[in-house]
Amino acid sequence: MMLASLALAEGVPVATLWAVALLTLLSLAFLGFELRKREGGGGRVLLLTGALALVLLAAAVLRPARVNTRGVSVGAKVVVLVDDSRRLLLPSDGKTRRELALAATRDLSKHFSGARVSWLQFGAGEPRPLLVEQALAHPDPADLSDETDLTAALSALAQEPGERPKAVVVVSDGRFVRPASNADDTALRDLAAPLGAPIHTVAVTEHTPRDASIRSIHTSGAAVAHQALALTIEIACSGGLSCAEVPVTARELRHGVEPFTLATGVANVTGGSATVELSITLERAGARLVEVSIEPPEGDTIPENNTRILTFSVTRDRLRLLHVAGRPTYDVRALRMWLKSDESIDLVAFFILRTDEDNTETSDDSELALIPFPVDELFTEHLPSFDAVILQDIDAVTYKLARHLPALADYVRGGGGLIMVGGPSAFAGGGYARSPLESVLPVELKGGEQPFDTADFVPRYTEAGRSAPVLHGVTELFGDELPTFSGSNTLGPARPNAITLWEHPDRKAGRSAMPVLALGEAGDGRSIALGVDGTHALAFSEFAERAAGRGYGALWDGLVGWLMRDPRYEALRLELAGPCIAGLPARLRLVRLPGSVGNVSLELTKLGPQTKPVTVKALVDPPAGPLTLELGALDAGGYSASARVGAAPPTRFDFACERGGPAWSDSRPDPERLHKIAEASGGKAVSLGNIGDLPVPDPTPVAAERSSVPLLPAWAWTLAAALALGAHWYERRRQGLL
Amino acid sequence: MQRFSPGALSRRAALALPFSLWATGASAFGDGGAFNPRLLRAGAQQALGVRSSGVGRWSWELVRRTSAPARLVPAEVAADRPALQAEPFAIWAGDLDPGPLSAAEVRGLTRFVRLGGVLLVDDSNPASGAFGRGARRELSRVLPEAAPVRLDPGHVIFKTFYIVDRPVGRVLGPPEVSAIVRGKNAQVIFLEHDLLGALARSGEGFALETEPGGMEQREHAIRLAVNIAMYVLCSDYKDDQVHAPFLMRRRARQKP
Repeated sequence: MMLASLALAEGVPVATLWAVALLTLLSLAFLGFELRKREGGGGRVLLLTGALALVLLAAAVLRPARVNTRGVSVGAKVVVLVDDSRRLLLPSDGKTRRELALAATRDLSKHFSGARVSWLQFGAGEPRPLLVEQALAHPDPADLSDETDLTAALSALAQEPGERPKAVVVVSDGRFVRPASNADDTALRDLAAPLGAPIHTVAVTEHTPRDASIRSIHTSGAAVAHQALALTIEIACSGGLSCAEVPVTARELRHGVEPFTLATGVANVTGGSATVELSITLERAGARLVEVSIEPPEGDTIPENNTRILTFSVTRDRLRLLHVAGRPTYDVRALRMWLKSDESIDLVAFFILRTDEDNTETSDDSELALIPFPVDELFTEHLPSFDAVILQDIDAVTYKLARHLPALADYVRGGGGLIMVGGPSAFAGGGYARSPLESVLPVELKGGEQPFDTADFVPRYTEAGRSAPVLHGVTELFGDELPTFSGSNTLGPARPNAITLWEHPDRKAGRSAMPVLALGEAGDGRSIALGVDGTHALAFSEFAERAAGRGYGALWDGLVGWLMRDPRYEALRLELAGPCIAGLPARLRLVRLPGSVGNVSLELTKLGPQTKPVTVKALVDPPAGPLTLELGALDAGGYSASARVGAAPPTRFDFACERGGPAWSDSRPDPERLHKIAEASGGKAVSLGNIGDLPVPDPTPVAAERSSVPLLPAWAWTLAAALALGAHWYERRRQGLL
Repeated sequence: MQRFSPGALSRRAALALPFSLWATGASAFGDGGAFNPRLLRAGAQQALGVRSSGVGRWSWELVRRTSAPARLVPAEVAADRPALQAEPFAIWAGDLDPGPLSAAEVRGLTRFVRLGGVLLVDDSNPASGAFGRGARRELSRVLPEAAPVRLDPGHVIFKTFYIVDRPVGRVLGPPEVSAIVRGKNAQVIFLEHDLLGALARSGEGFALETEPGGMEQREHAIRLAVNIAMYVLCSDYKDDQVHAPFLMRRRARQKP
C-alpha cells in the first residue's frame, strides 16, 4: 500500500508555518486595502503580482516537500479477560465453570486468529497474564480471588500506556461485585468510555443450579470473649429449589472434642431468600473457628456452600481469672497481689479461710467476714466465663471440687487455661491423681506415692526451659539461677505433648528427672503444672531482692501469657501462605522469633474429636529466615497446626479450609448483566456456542517506509520569489505608486 | 463457710504434721509460705519481756481459728540484716524511744517496704507514746515521701476474717488505726493499743491484764491480730466485689 502527501521540509517547525501564513495573510490584506480605490486592469495586475510574490516568498521559507509512505496492515489488538475467581470452580454440566472458560479461550483464539490477542485473567484487582495450558493443568489457589471486579480490571486496562485495544472480550459467568447488578446504562457506558472500544461478553453458563446456600454472614461489632455476638445469616434458594424452613446451626470447632453448638435457628425462606440472626458467645480469646451450616432441602446440587467456616480473632476486654486457694499463705499473697496489680486482669478469688475444725471463738457467724465457698456455682454456672482457672494448694475432696473435675477437664479441652500451683493439698495430695482433671495436666500423677517431699532443693532448667520465651523474663534477671524451695509435689513424667521447663535435681519420675514446672496442651486449652509452693521467693526474699522483686512478675507474666497464647511467649509465628482451598495445595509460613533455633517440626490435626495428625513434617537444620511448609491438598474443615522449634514449647495456629468459601455463596450466573455491559459499550454478548458471532475488528494500518522529496530546490523557490517581487516592484513604478 | 467432707480428718492430720515440725523449727513443704510474726530489732534495744511470747500466741490463735498456717516459734530479725527481706511481715514493738536508726537499718527497712513487706509498729506503752513517736520519726527517714494516715473504718483490715468495729489491745487505745499507705496497700501499720501485751502468755494464762479489762477486750484484741495476719496473707481479698453484699448485710445486722 502506497500513500503520498505534502509536508514541510525536514527541520521546519510547525510554529514557523503558522507565522509565515499569518504574515502572508496580513500582507495580502494590506495590499487589498491599498488598492481598494484603484480601478481598471492596473489594479488587478498589481494584486496578482503582489499575491504571487507573497506565495513564492512563503514557499521559499517553508520549502514544501512531497512525502511518500508505504504501509502494511496488522491484526487489530483484542484483549480477552477471563474471570479467575474461585466462583468459577463451581460445577456446570459435568465440568467447572473455570474449565469451560478456559476451553472457550481456544474458540476465541481461532475466531480472532487474524487479530493480536492479549490473554489476561482478572479477579479482585488488576488483570494478570493468563497462561491457559498452565491454568488448566495446575490451578493455583493463590491465583484465584474470592470475587470478580470487572470495573477494576477495565480501569487498569484503560490506564495502560501504548496501543489501545480495538475490542475487549470478557469471559465470565457475570456475577461481578462491580459493576453492580443494579448499575444503569449511563454507568455502564462510563465504564467502557475510557477504553474507546466495544466490550464483548461470553457467558460461560446461563444455567442456574438448584442450590440452597449461605449467601452471606455479617457480624455486628468485634468478637470479644464472653460477650454475645450477633451473626446475621442470609440464606437463599435458587434454580427452582423449593425451600421453606431451613435449619441453621453455629458451632465452634475445637481440638480433640466434638464441635460445640453455639446457637441454632430456622430460616423461613420466602421469595427465595431469608435472614436469620443467631447470637453466639465465644468464651475463649484468640483465633476461633465457627462453622455455620444449614440443612438444605432435598435436591440441593451444591452441598459445598451449605457450610461456611468463619475465623474470629476474639479479643478480650479483660483477662478473667478464677483464683482458688486452699489456705492463705505468703505464696497465695504474692500471686494475688501480682494478679491485682494488673489492670487488664479481672480477678475472681476464693480462698478457704476457715475449716469446720477451726475454732473461731464465736457462735454467731455474723461476727465473721466469711462467705460460703460457692463451689457448685463457680464450677457449673460461671466456669465458662473465665479465661483461666488457678488452683492453688486446694484439696479437691475436702472442698467438694472433685465432683466438678470432669467439667473442669472439659473446660480446659474446650479452650480454657488451667494452672495448678503446688502445696501439700495440690496434685496427688489434693486428690487429683486418677481424677478426670489429671488427663488435662501436663504431667502424670501417681496416687500411691508420698504426695510431696519436704527436702529443700533448687530446681534445674531443662534445655526447653532455657530456650522457652515463657521464661525469658526470669532468665534475663537471674540467668540459670533459681531460689531454694522448701519441698516439692510428687509429679509423674511429662505427658507426650508437654514440655518440662524446670526439673528436680534429685527426684525422678520414671527414668527422667521429675518435672517441677511443665506446660502442656489439652484439646483447645493449655495447662501448667507448678509443683512448688514457693515462687513467692521471686517476689520477696533475699534472692528476689537482687532484682527488686521483679522476678515474680516476670515468671507469672510468662506463665499466664503463654496460657493465654500471647504471641510474645511463643517461639514462632505461623500463618497461611495464601488461602486454603479444600482440594488444592495449601502452604503454611513459619516465622521463627529471634533466639529460636533448632530443628522444626510440625503436626497438622483436623479440629474435632480425632487427634491423629493429618500431616507431620520435620525440618532438620532448616535455613534461616521464614520457612514455607507444603501441607498438600486438604479436605474442607478446621485445622490446628502445632509447630516446634528446637526444644521450645509448641505454637499452635488454627485455620479453616473451605471448598468454596464466600466465592461460592451465590452460585447463580448473571448473563443479563453481561448483556447490559456489552450493549452499553457497543459490543456483543454471546454464549459459549456463539463465539463465532463476535465481530472481528478491522486490521490496523502500520507505516513501514517513508520518504520525503522537496518539490523544488530551495534556491529555485528563492529565485522565483525574487523575480515575482521584482515584477511587482516594476509594476508599482510603472503605475506611479513609488 | 466450708463444710467438711468425710476425708477432712486425714487432711487435718496431714496439716498437723507440719505444724508440729514448725514448732521445732524444722523446714517442711508449705512452711515457706506460713505466717511468721517476726520481731524486728531496730534502733535502741527494747525490753519486751513477756510480750515477746505474744507472737507465738498470735500464730497459735491463727492456726486454731483459721485455715492459715503459721510458725509457732517466735523469730527475731534485725533491720540491717538481709534476712529481713526473707519474709513479708515483721513487728516492731517497744515502750521506749528507739533512737535514731543506723544507715544500714534505714536501708534494710527501705528495701523491705519497697519489696512490698508489711511492718506493724506496736507501741507497748501507749500511755507515754514514746516508742510510737520515735518509730514514726525514724520511719519518716525510711519513707520520706509518705506520711501516716488514719485508716477508714471500712478498711479491709477490719474485715479480713472477723468483723471488727475498732482496734483494741491490752489497752483500749484510740478508736482508729493509722498507716503508711503505698499504692493501695497499708504497708506500715501503727497501733497504739499494745497488741502484743494482750497476747502475751505466762505459764497457762495471759501475762498482762487488759485495761479497762475483761475477756471480751482480750478476745477483740486477738481478733484484731487474726485480721492483721489475714491482711498480710490475703491483702485486700475481702474488698473483692463478691464479698461486698454479704459483709454489708452482716454489718447492718450487728448495728442496732
